[in-house]
Parts: sequence; structure tokens; C-alpha cells
Amino acid sequence: MNIQLSGVTKEFGKTAALSSVDANVKDGEFIAILGPSGCGKTTLLRLLAGFESPTEGYIEMDDKQVAAPYGVIPPEKRNIGMVFQSFALWPHLTVQEQIRFPLLHHKFVPSSIKKRKEARTQEVLELVNLTNMAERMPHELSGGQKQRVALARAVAAQPSLLLMDEPLSSLDAELRMEMRHEIQRIHRHTQTTVIYVTHDQSEALAMADRIIVMKDGAVEQIGSPETIYRFPQTEFVASFVGKANLVPGFWKKGVFHPNGNDMVAWEKREVAPYFMKRGVMPVRPEEFCLKKAGNGLTGRVENVQFQGRDVQYTILVGKDCWTVYHPAPGEFRIGEQVVVELAKEQSALRTHTEGHDNIISSTSSI
Amino acid sequence: MNEPIIPKQHEKRRNQPPFLAVYQKMFVVIAAALLVLFFIFPILRLVILSVSGESEVDLRHYQDILAEPQTWTVLQNTVVMVAGSTFLAVALGVFMAWLITYSDVRAKRFLHVLVLLPFVIPSYIVSLSWTQLMSSNGWFASVLTLLSENLEPWNLYSLGGMIFILGLSHYPLVYLFTVGVLKRIPRELEWAARSSGAGRIAVFWKVTMPIALPGIAGGGLLAFLANLDNFGIPAFLGIPANISVLSTAIYQEVVSVHADAFSRAAVLSVVLGGVAVLGTVVQWLLVRKSKQLETAREDRSPRFSLGKFRIWAESGLWTFLLFIGIVPLSAMTTTSFLRTYGLEWTWDNLTWDHYWYVLYENTNVQSALENSLLLACVTTVVVLIIGTIVAYIRINKPSPLNRAAETIITVPYALPGVVLALAMIFAWMEPIPGWNPGIYGSIWILFIAYSTRFMILQVRGSAAAFMQVGASMEEAAHVFGARGSVKWIKIMVPLILPGMLTGAFFVFLTSLTELTVSSLLWSAGHETIGVMIFNFEQAGYTTHSAALSSIVVMIFLAGFVFMMCGQTIWKKRGRKG
Repeated sequence: MNIQLSGVTKEFGKTAALSSVDANVKDGEFIAILGPSGCGKTTLLRLLAGFESPTEGYIEMDDKQVAAPYGVIPPEKRNIGMVFQSFALWPHLTVQEQIRFPLLHHKFVPSSIKKRKEARTQEVLELVNLTNMAERMPHELSGGQKQRVALARAVAAQPSLLLMDEPLSSLDAELRMEMRHEIQRIHRHTQTTVIYVTHDQSEALAMADRIIVMKDGAVEQIGSPETIYRFPQTEFVASFVGKANLVPGFWKKGVFHPNGNDMVAWEKREVAPYFMKRGVMPVRPEEFCLKKAGNGLTGRVENVQFQGRDVQYTILVGKDCWTVYHPAPGEFRIGEQVVVELAKEQSALRTHTEGHDNIISSTSSI
Repeated sequence: MNEPIIPKQHEKRRNQPPFLAVYQKMFVVIAAALLVLFFIFPILRLVILSVSGESEVDLRHYQDILAEPQTWTVLQNTVVMVAGSTFLAVALGVFMAWLITYSDVRAKRFLHVLVLLPFVIPSYIVSLSWTQLMSSNGWFASVLTLLSENLEPWNLYSLGGMIFILGLSHYPLVYLFTVGVLKRIPRELEWAARSSGAGRIAVFWKVTMPIALPGIAGGGLLAFLANLDNFGIPAFLGIPANISVLSTAIYQEVVSVHADAFSRAAVLSVVLGGVAVLGTVVQWLLVRKSKQLETAREDRSPRFSLGKFRIWAESGLWTFLLFIGIVPLSAMTTTSFLRTYGLEWTWDNLTWDHYWYVLYENTNVQSALENSLLLACVTTVVVLIIGTIVAYIRINKPSPLNRAAETIITVPYALPGVVLALAMIFAWMEPIPGWNPGIYGSIWILFIAYSTRFMILQVRGSAAAFMQVGASMEEAAHVFGARGSVKWIKIMVPLILPGMLTGAFFVFLTSLTELTVSSLLWSAGHETIGVMIFNFEQAGYTTHSAALSSIVVMIFLAGFVFMMCGQTIWKKRGRKG
């Protein structure tokens, strides 16, 4: 399903939950809407589902207008499926009945499926590996199983748009990883357009074809996971998605002088014009490297956290604390003086991404 | 590209907004008009009557009544009775709640049900049963004579007796509120205090009590309101001893036939109703304050161990609760079998005659049973439908208008029963001066009074059911294609039905045995069960009133067994699907 959002604004009383959101979604795409709580991502999803109507702007699905301030197509008349944050399994129906419900009532069930409801139910149960749970009631299921039922119910009628509202947030860490695979697999299998709301950047990076990063009801950046991660357009995207340190300094002839230090020059690959103008360079923790001595900025180790593969250092440079990931084992101790440099891979990376100017220009136009 | 597929809908809306808007507005206007007519208008009439003189507004009635020393005696009795019984209810309720919730006594579910028993049985039956237990030839007296010849049981026909029975009848209210709060106090808060060096007792007074206080105060105020509102206990115990409190004084004014009766009763009602409304507002504020705990999870597991004292605590609890809950009722039932009131309890003196009499010979009782059953059924159905609709609108479309509607619906329940009954008389005797539609004097006035008084109970019950179901259940039904009727039949009704029916069951039992409102609104041929028992008791036919009360208690027990079975079956069905 192609979706077009144009100037979508939603106000609750005087507070604006969404302000003039523009975006488009192509058929079969997996889109993640990423942002901290209260950024308007759930409101956007509820507008797409048809639970709310926009205060301004409109939404089109397959070139048909479905939501505008003067009228909204209700959810039951849209070709959608949805996975709720709380699963929303009806406590009085069995697993099988939950899945059969959309087959019986959904307006857009393909006739090929309508003819074979029982077989389709079995098929979907197999898809989520719950064949032997068909007769169970929701309260007899574990969290992960409930999640699978919610997924199965959402895809059963083959909707052309699948909406997911933080579907993994109530599962524990290990199950979350497993369910990520499951969701990717189902997406590949069904080829449905997916819109997936989350506040977890690793979920969005791992699964989405494109990510819409939101903050305070507005879109910050739209792009592929790699673009979002490596070429953030705003400070918020840099710090929220890449956990980047925002190093102050000035730019001169394409070279960055951190902390206004003429002697240290960082040649970094392209950075959004936004940062150039503000005299800032976003540097992700793994882009730094630490040395005992060298041509860089000196700082002091404030904190050390061993994390297995990496060691996470907090380094006080001037007045700012920077986060640095250093491959384990790290040899620096708290209180030690260190020199912070840009990692060597930088140059390699640079040749690698020669062509990404286009990426930036194209993302900014989306 | 911009081809709207909502043309149908959106054009419809564009073409017809005047019609739709008019339709909606009409609904709002009609609903508001009905609310005002049934819920507000009677109370306005009452207030107006209390200040109306010959031609214009004057406060003559207030001056007259406040000048009489007897009024001050009534007020003093009321203050003493309400204060004493509220204190008793709070002390007993908090202690029981604390012991049953936090200690490791066993069989908590049974204890819980036993605590609620005296609250569920109508209070006039409770006082009747206690008078039988404490009568000069009752069980208690025979136990006392074993100890000494000179001991006499306590005379319950006194202020002290009223305080005692009121306290026993209403401490479960405090208990329920306190249990709700205690369960939600996270035990980590107590652990934090213990680990900071506070002992058990310090923890109780410095942590548990302050956190629970708004909840306890809310329950205490509810008991206060119940004590103030109660008519059955002061009517059964106070009237024979010539002790009047506000509720019985109003009743006596109305049934006495002197010229100023109605306006004098109206003045007393405004005083009583004013205090009750004030108390309700304060209670509401307190409960709102204690809502912060609502998000906390319930924690039912015991928090301290009684150790070797447990068996003593348990025996104490069981003895107390069985004595309070069951012994007086048994004493009443034995009275109902005595050939003549006052006889020794021997085989020869036992008879079924009183049951035969009340069930077959006395046609008044039969019609009272029919009336009460009819009233209860119709009230329950009316309230179930309207109350559920109101609850749905209130929860899904919160607006100042809907909140105001809920407040208005609360008023007839917040007012004491005698006050509401009096307001009903004023409103429906001559709704328009000079025109009597014949509602007062028929069973219709009881329908109107019951439906308005108990409406809020169903609104709350249904609202709780909707809240528990949660919005996402309904949204999921929409997403997966269910429109109006399918959504209600397949998803919403099965989910809310248990909560809805629990509310309806409560309304049914309450209206079946109601006394206060019907004591003023009944007319010949339109008696209720409560009125019949009251009339038997006033005329001195104690064996008859005991027999009829025993029947009511049986109906209650059957009702509860029925409901519990229903719930169990429901749960099982839910599991099997």
C-alpha cells in the first residue's frame, strides 16, 4: 500500500501532538517511526489506523484520501491489521478464535482466503509456530506466545498495511531479539507494507527499510537506517540514534578544529551543512580512539564500564564529557590522562562513502 | 490523485451537517431535560417549599423550628449517634483491615465474606435480630442468668444501642476502603523504613498510616454518611424509646398530620441534606487524593507473621465475626418459630404458624412481596440499560457536560433516603400546581424514586467494567473489521457482562429490601417488604416481623449462592472457550 501524508497536524486542545508531518511510504516497505516517548509517534500511528482525525492535512492510501479534518474512514473500513502494545487479545476467545475473527469480519479479505477460513487459520498458526496452542485462552499463554497470537491475528486477513505499536516493549530482552527475527520473516513472507512504532533505535536500525525519526511532534529526518546512523541531519538524530558526541569547534576548508584548537585538525567525511553552520561535529563513540600520547586533545578518564566486546570510557575534555567505545581490553584507568583522536578507519570509511553526497541531498528532500 | 474515496461520507457530512447537528443537539437537550426533571427538580421543590411563606420567600419555618428546644434535642441526638457510630466503625474497620490484610491469618477469603455480612443484610433486619438476641427472654439473657440472677442484657432501645448497631453495620465500609489502600501500599516502602532503622511499630505509625490515611478517611466519611442517612436502625430502636434523630424526626413530621407538617419536614430535610452533600463533597476530595496509589499493584501476601499468637488471633476473629454475623440472625429466626412472643423456647412452643400467616393468610404481605419483586426487577432493568449507556458515554467522551451529568446522577444517592422521599412527594404530588397526575399514591413514585436513587450504582459498576476492558479491546475489534452490532455482540458484551451484572445484582437486592424511601412513599396496596416488616414491628407483631425478616435473609443467601455459582460457571466457560 502506498501512503502519502501531507501536512498532517493533530492538536489535542491547545497542545500539538503532531505538527505538519509530510512523508510517503511505498508499497511493501518496512517503515520504522522512531522517537522518544511523547514525540507523537503513537498519535501518528493512530491517525493511520483511523482512531483519530487530523486537525489539518490529509492522509492518502493508494491514492485515495482516507483522513482529512472533515471526515475519516473508520478503522474497520481500512485495509489494515494492527499489533497493539498491550497485545489487546480478547480474554474470552481462544487463540484460534482470535485469528478467525478478522477472517470473518474484515472487509478486505481476499476471496481466495474467504473460501478456506479454517485452512488459513492453520496456515497463520504455522507461520507463528503456534499450531499446538490453537485451543488455548490468552491467560494460558506466555508473553512471547501472546505476541505471536497478536501478530498472527494482524496478518490473518492479508491486510495491505500492518501497523505495529511498540510490539516488543513488553517482552524481555532475549524474547525481543527472537521476535525481531519473527517479524522480519513475516514481513518477507507477506510482502505487506509495515509501519512500526518504536523508541528503541536498535530495533528500528535492525528491521526497517527506512526510518522516520520524530521529536516533539515533528519529523527530524527520514532515511535508510545507514543514512540515519551515519549521516544525521540534526543534533537530535545524531545523539538519539548514533549516541554521537557533539564536539564543538570550527570548520575551516573542510577540516574541523575541535574545541577551537588550531593544532588539532580532524578530517572528517561529510557532515550535514546544519552542523557545519553551527561549528559542531557529531562523533559517534566508536569513531574515537584513545592513546597514551599523540596529536589529539588531551582529556582525563572519568569513568570506565567494561561491556564485554568494548570498554565504554567517559573522558573529560575541557568542560565536556565524551563517550568513547574502545575495543576490549582497555588499558586505561580512572584519573589517567589520555589523548583522544579520531579513529583511523575514518579515512578508509571516507573512500567508501564517496558518493553519499547524493544520499544527503536526497534524504533532505524527502 | 486527490480523488477522495470518502466522497460518500464526506459529502454526506457536508450536505447534512445541519441535520446531524440538530439530531445530536436534540439528543443532548432531551437527555439534559430528563436529567433535570427527574434528578434536580424534586430537590429544588424541596428547598423552595422550606423557604416559602404565604406569598413570598421567608425563613419563618426555619425560625420557628430552630426556636423549639425539641429541635435541639434532635440535633444533639443526631450528633452523638453519628459521631459515636462513626468512631466505632472506623476503629473496628481499620483494625480488621490491618489484621486480615497484613497478618498471616488463614482462610482470609471466608473472613472477608463474614466481615461484609452485616453490611449486606438490610440494617433494619440487623437491628431486629439484635433486639431478639438481647431481649429480656432472649439467648443473651439466659446466659447472663446462669452467671447471676441480677444481670440484665443491655437495653438496645437507647442511643448507645443505636451507636452499637450502626457501628457494626457500617464498619465493613471502612474495612473495604482500608483494605483497598493497604493492599496497594508497596511493601518496599515499609522495607525502606525498616532498613533505615525504624521498628515495626514506627513503620506502622510513620509509613503505613500516613499513606493509608486519605483512604481511611474516605471510608470513614462514607460510614459517617451511612450513619447520618440510616433510617432503619433509629426507627426500630429510637422511635420506641422516644429518641428522635433527624431522619426519624422528618419521618414523624410527615406521618403526623398537622398543618405545617410538610414545610417543617422540608426544613429539617434541607439541614440533613445539606450536611450529607457537604460530607459527600469532602469524601470525594479525599478519595481523589488517595488515587495516587491506584496505579500500584495489589499485593495480597501477608506482611507479618503472628507466630504462636496466630491461633489466638484466628480464634478471636472467628468468634467475633460469627457472633456478630450469625448469632443475632439465629436468635431472630428462633423467635419467628415461637407460638407467642415471650414464651420459653421449648418443643411445645414451636410453630410454623407465623410463616404460614405472612406467606398465605396476610394478603398485604403477598402484595408487598409482589410489589418489591416488581420494583426490584423494573428498577434493575431500567438502571442497567440507562446506567450502562451513561457509563459508556462518560468514559469514551469525557467532557465537562458529561461530568456534570454524572454529578447530577449522584445527587439522589448522596441525599439521605428520607430527604429524597420527601422531595419526590413534593415534586410528583402536583408537578404543576393544580394538576395531580396521580403518581404520588401509586407504585410509580416508587419506580421513579428507586431508579433515580440507584442509577449511580449501576453507572459506577458498568464504568468499572468498561475501564477494566480497556480501550484497546474495542480498538482491536475495529481494526479487525467489526462494525457496530458485531463489535457489541462478539466482543464488548461478553467482556463487560460480569461487571455489569454484579452492579445490577447489587441494585436488585438493594431495591428489593429498601425501607427508608418506601416508608414515606408507600400507600395502601403499594407496600414493600421493608414497610411490611416495619409496620409489623411498630404494631408489636414481633413474631411476624421476625418470620418475614428470616425469609428475606433466606432470599439474600440464595441470591449470593446464585451469584457465586454464576461467576464460577462464567469463569469456567471463559477457560474452556
